[in-house]
Formats: sequence, C-alpha cells, structure tokens
Amino acid sequence: MPDVQALVNDFVLKLKRRKIEGSHASARHTAELLRSVISHQRMRQTNQAGALIDAVKAVGEQLIAANPVELAVGNIVRRVLHIIREEDLSSTATAIEGLGLSAGSDDDDEGQYEDRPALSAAALAAAARSTLRAPSLQTLLGDIPGSAVTPQPPSSWGDSEGKSKSADKNLRSRKLKHDVIEAINELIQDIDTCHEQVSEQAVEHIHQNEVILTLGRSRTVKEFLCAAKEKNRSFRVFVAEGAPRYQGHVLAKELVGKGIQTTVITDSAVFAMISRVNMVIVGAHAIMANGGVVAPVGINMVALAAQRHAVPFVVVAGSHKLCPLYPHNSEVLLNDLKSPSDLVDFGEFSDCMDFGSHGGSPLLHVVNPAFDYVPPKLVSLFITDTGGHNPSYMYRLIADYYSADDLVVKQRSTS
Amino acid sequence: MWLRSASFVLDKRLQQQEPSSFFHDPRDSAQPPPPSPSVDPMDQNPDPNPNHGISAYYQTRAEHHAVVSSDWLAQAQAAIGRGAAPPSGCWPSAAASSAVAARTGSVGGGGGKPFSVIDEFNYWRKKPDLAEAVAAIMALAAVIRSSEATTMMELEIELKKASDTLKSWDTTSISLSAGCDLFMRYVTRTSALEYEDFDAAKLRLIERGEKFGEISLKARRTIAMLGQDFIFDSCTILVHGFSRVVFEVLKLAASNRKLFRVLCTEGRPDRTGLRFSNELAALGVPVKLLIDSAVAYSMDEVDMVFVGADGVVESGGIINMMGTYQIALVAHSMNKPVYVAAESYKFARLYPLDQKDLAPALRPIDFGVPIPSGVEVETSARDYTPPQYLTLLFTDLGVLTPSVVSDELIQLYL
Repeated sequence: MPDVQALVNDFVLKLKRRKIEGSHASARHTAELLRSVISHQRMRQTNQAGALIDAVKAVGEQLIAANPVELAVGNIVRRVLHIIREEDLSSTATAIEGLGLSAGSDDDDEGQYEDRPALSAAALAAAARSTLRAPSLQTLLGDIPGSAVTPQPPSSWGDSEGKSKSADKNLRSRKLKHDVIEAINELIQDIDTCHEQVSEQAVEHIHQNEVILTLGRSRTVKEFLCAAKEKNRSFRVFVAEGAPRYQGHVLAKELVGKGIQTTVITDSAVFAMISRVNMVIVGAHAIMANGGVVAPVGINMVALAAQRHAVPFVVVAGSHKLCPLYPHNSEVLLNDLKSPSDLVDFGEFSDCMDFGSHGGSPLLHVVNPAFDYVPPKLVSLFITDTGGHNPSYMYRLIADYYSADDLVVKQRSTS
Repeated sequence: MWLRSASFVLDKRLQQQEPSSFFHDPRDSAQPPPPSPSVDPMDQNPDPNPNHGISAYYQTRAEHHAVVSSDWLAQAQAAIGRGAAPPSGCWPSAAASSAVAARTGSVGGGGGKPFSVIDEFNYWRKKPDLAEAVAAIMALAAVIRSSEATTMMELEIELKKASDTLKSWDTTSISLSAGCDLFMRYVTRTSALEYEDFDAAKLRLIERGEKFGEISLKARRTIAMLGQDFIFDSCTILVHGFSRVVFEVLKLAASNRKLFRVLCTEGRPDRTGLRFSNELAALGVPVKLLIDSAVAYSMDEVDMVFVGADGVVESGGIINMMGTYQIALVAHSMNKPVYVAAESYKFARLYPLDQKDLAPALRPIDFGVPIPSGVEVETSARDYTPPQYLTLLFTDLGVLTPSVVSDELIQLYL
C-alpha cells in the first residue's frame, strides 16, 4: 500500500499545481491511478465490493479536492465506483443462481425455503438490480435502497451451507477484483479511442461546401474535421483565435497542413462573420447533467451568435467529459482564474497593480477566466462517442454511466 | 376533454346511474361537491351566483393554507348549525353521510359496508403535514387491511373500486389520482412476483402502504437537500403559493446559514403569500410581499423562481395554483430560472394541451364588494405551465429536467 499512497500523493500534487492539463490527460491518469489502487487493495472475506468502494472513495475525495475545476477527475472516480457496483451485482446474481440451484437440493432444516430458493433468488436478484439503478417511480414503494450493495443474500446463503461455499466465495472475491480491473482497462481504452469514435460520425454531419466556425483549439474538433476531409468532403473553416492563449493559430496551421481551407479571425469578429457560416463545431471542457456545457472562454459568445443567426451549434466531446452534477453556481464554482500575465505585460502595468500603493488595494484588476458556461438551450447537438444526442437526452447517458449514490464522493465516516 | 383511462368511460357510466337526488340544495354551504361531480354543476344550474360551490380541491387548500375569511367563516358556522357534526367532520348532515356510505357500498359491490374508504381518506387528510396522495395511499392500505378477499385478483378488484371511489369523490385533485394509480400499479406488480402465500403478500402491501407516509416525509427532506444547493448567498428568490416542499427547501437553506431574501406573491384570493411570509419571517429570512401584478415589475431583481406543484404531467409541465403560468412566462422572458419542487408521486399520466384541458377546480372569489348580476367571474383555481418555461424539477428521484418525467412514467406504466 505505501507505494500506492506515494503515487496518489504525487498525482494530487500534480493536480494542485495544474501540471496536468486537459481533461483527456487527467481522465487517463485518474483511471490508471485507481486501477493501481484497486489492484493493491487486499481483499476481505465479506463485502469486498464495499471495501473497494471505500478505498476508491478515499482516494477520489483527495483527487477531487486537489482540482475541483477539473471535472474529468471526478467523472472517472464516479465511473469506477459505478463499475465496482455493477461487477459486484452481476457476480452476485450469478452466484445466487448457482447457490439457489444447489441449495434447493440439500436444504432440509430450513423448511420454508424448500421450493422457494429459485424463485426468491430471482426476486432478490431483481430487487438488487433495481437498487443499482437510480431511484425511480417503480422503486418508490418497493424496498428502500439502503446500502449500495446487498451483501446479505450471498453471505446468509454461504453461512448456511458451510465449507464448499466459502471456497466458492474466495473464488468470487478474486474474480470481482479481476472483473473490476478488466472493466477499468476497457474504460481507459475508451478514453484513448474517444477521438476516433467521435470522428467516425463526422461524415454524417459535414456535407459538401460547408462553412464551419470554431473557436480555440480542441483536439476532438481537429480530428473531427480531419476525418471529414479524409472522406473527401470539401469545406472551409473559420477559426477564431481564442485569446489570450491564441490556440486558434495552432489549429489553423494544423488544418492547413491537412489541406483544409482556413480563415483566422479574432474573437470579436465572430458576430460579424457568423452570418456566412453553416455550422459551429466546438469542443467542451465538461458537459453537465442538464445538458449545459463548460467550455473554454469565448464559446458562450459564439453560442449566442449562433442562436441569433439560427446556425446549428454542435458540441463534440468524449464520454469522459460527461459530469453527473448540476451547475448551480457555474460562473463562480466551475471557473478557473488564470494568470493575468497572459493578458498584460507586468512591466508596463506594474505601477497600476502595485499592492503597496493606494492602501494595499490596486485600482487595476486583470481577470483571466478560463471557462464559460453555455446553457443547454443554446446547444443544438452533442456528438459523443456513443452517437449524436439532444441536450435533453444527456440525463440518460449519465444514468447509464453513473450511480446515484456516488454523486457526492465522500468517504463514509466510521463513527 | 381530460381523459384518464379507458376505465374512465366505465366510471362515468357508473356514476350517471346514481340518482341525481344527491344534489344538495345548500350548495353554498361549507360542503364538498355533490357526490356526482361528473354531472357538471355548471350545466345543471347556470346560476349567476359566483359562489359556484367550493370544490374539494379548494377546500383542502383552504383548510391547510388560507387565512380564514369572513364569508368562509359564515359558511362554516352555517354548516355546523345545520346538524350534528359526524366524526369525520366534513358532512353536515347524517343523511348525506349515510347516503355516501350507501353509495360507496353500492359501488363497492356488496351491501352497505360499514367501512368507508372516503371516511378513512378524510381522517388521514386532516393531518396538516400529510399530502393528499399519501392520505389516499394510507386509505387504500386500510382497505386492504379490512378486506375479506382470499385471492390477489379479488383484492385487486376491491382496491380498484375503492380507488375509483376516491377519485370520483374529488375529480379535480391530480395528486390524489396519481397517488391511487401509483399504489394500484405497485399492487399489480407485487402480485406478479408470485408470492406463494396470499397472507404474506397482503401483509407486505399493507406494510408498504403505511410506510408510504414516512417515504413522503423523507421525500421532502431529499428535495430540500437537492434544492438548497441551488440557493447561493445574496440571491433573491420569488415564490408563489404556499408549498410545504418549497418551504422545506428554504428552511434547510436558512439553517445552513445561506443569506438570501424572498419575494412572496400575495396569492389572491387564497392569500397564501401572507401565510408563507409569516412562516419565513419566523425563520428570520427577509421577506417582501408583492401583489400578484407586481411580479413583472420586480422580476429583474429576482435570481430564481421557486414553486411547488399540485401535479406534474407527462409532458414535464406542472399544474399549480393560478398565477404560476404567468410568473413562469415573465421569468422565461427575462431569462430567470424556474425551479419546481415536487415529490415523485405527483407524476400523473395526463397530457393537457392547453389550459382548458384541465378539469376545472373552482373556488369562490370575494371581491369585497357585490358584483353586478350580469358579470361573470373566472373562478378557476389552478393553471398549467408548459415544460418549456420550467428549468429544473427537484424531486425525490433526483434533480430532473422536464424531459425526464415522461421517461419515468413510461418506465412505471409500461
């Protein structure tokens, strides 16, 4: 365990110092770190899933606190928790069915369970499966889902049977860890290949002689456009430079390298140029549960311009950017204020920004926010690696990838 | 017209067989609507009396929420003076209660049953903290308890009859019928799980039904926890009507030491705003009262609008006190979020296309001066707000966008 703790501390430090940039890198690192944590976790006899969940929650809490604005970290933590619960559930279901069949034959002292095991096993499995899903109208009157996993059925069956079942359980426990790690490997692979999967859909959305606008540089957008170019679609791209980092310039050079006709404009020219544009395609930093988008600064302006001129506004993003949280105070809580040195040269303004004069409070402030929040009504379409979706549909994807119990990643206090 | 289900046609037919002699003359007394509300009082008696009889919907609200007005008090006095008040307290004459009991018995398919589901329902409804749907489910659980059925099918039929009785007793209450439907659905699904032992199944149903009261309280707490996240410091909240759920949200936010102030609409003619402002002032939250017409005037200083709901319909819109639609329109045009706090058992399988698609819930409006005889008064008590004007719904199933509602209903019913 000590070497795992060192890894965790290392990663936390990197997050705090913002050494890891971009949701893709953060997501990948988080997944790999959690995989190491799980593989080093010593497995108990009972309630292995609970132990795993606690371990992951403990680490996850630290990671999220290190950089709360990097939502991809929290997303991956919650995905891993959901994976653990799912794997536990599927292994429990198969175990119960297996036990049920054998219990029916040799159970004599527990008379009332005689012809019940097969039926109630199925019922229990169904009930357990329903606790994994988000609470719904169906479960409203049913069993109130208390704990995340239902350890009672398997352990009670196991205890009543004896030795053969404990050997079974050891097998199951090792299998759980193995299954979880396999699933995390799949997750890492998904994160790596998200760009290809999104780009495959480019051909359906970009047609001949289109004019596309984008802002800044998003790797997903770049690959999306290049994929369309490879399928011999002819289109032009307007790239807004994306001050103060001017990543738009980098994107323009890359697109020209692929043979795409490109025009570079300033951010302020977006409203002037939007009437000549067929479609706006941008990337995102994170997609919230209501369909709102946290995107690099300037994209809210582009979205408003697009709405004003009835231009479709398309957001491309990998599924690791889907966040199950609702943005209740997005401007304040989800924004990162970066260094003003990007904007102004300290030498020129050093007298205005001097904290020594004017009683310690300078008259000049320079604010450099990193993100913008785009409300869901401005977005026409989301293209993720699972396909194209409406903003009002995002809750379904989120219900697939995350469990309701994991929204607040807090280690359960032992007291 | 607002159609609930295919059985609605059967229900209507059943009711129309009842003799219309149940129509009581003193219709302006403090009495629930005549037991055959499907025979529309508007058709029968187009009298210019603005007191078109108080619908049970309004009566519930009045009992729980309103400041007592003088004419209301006069009506109550008149009702008490008429005859001995029976234990349930609602029926001013013994004849009425026995007539209703007989009717329940006849609909219940047996002789005069001593147990009346309506009485049971009224008993539970009296408790101020209990929502209507919860009272309905408790009443249905009591039906199971007192039933002598020996098979699931029989029990289901009895429950269906009791549920229809409850629904027809007050056609205007959406949460009542939604609660009944939810419980019926649960019973059907439980019986499908093939419980070998009928008694065990029956016990389980009773237990679940009676536990539902706890669930509803827990629901309010869940909603409060979800909702108070959206309240940030120094925000201004506009509320309309007195919803216990919204009050719970604000109470929790205040106890978490969030600094916010509340603008409360007066809510004529219920004057719910006065009651709400009393409660908020007791919590120490700064409150400002507005007349209903001042909403647009004050909307630019508002950060968010919080309302409750009587029912959440399939499209994701809500049915709530009259005035909610207006406020949602104003908020939408000024880009202010409208948040709805509603428990999930209020989800109903209705799809109103416009305001007139709702079953009218009428209430008397006192203008303070006598109205000339030729002048009509719009007495409807509630309106429908379409989903595009709502931002988010806080329910015990989580924070939902309006499009999720139909998904949930489909999962339950199909």
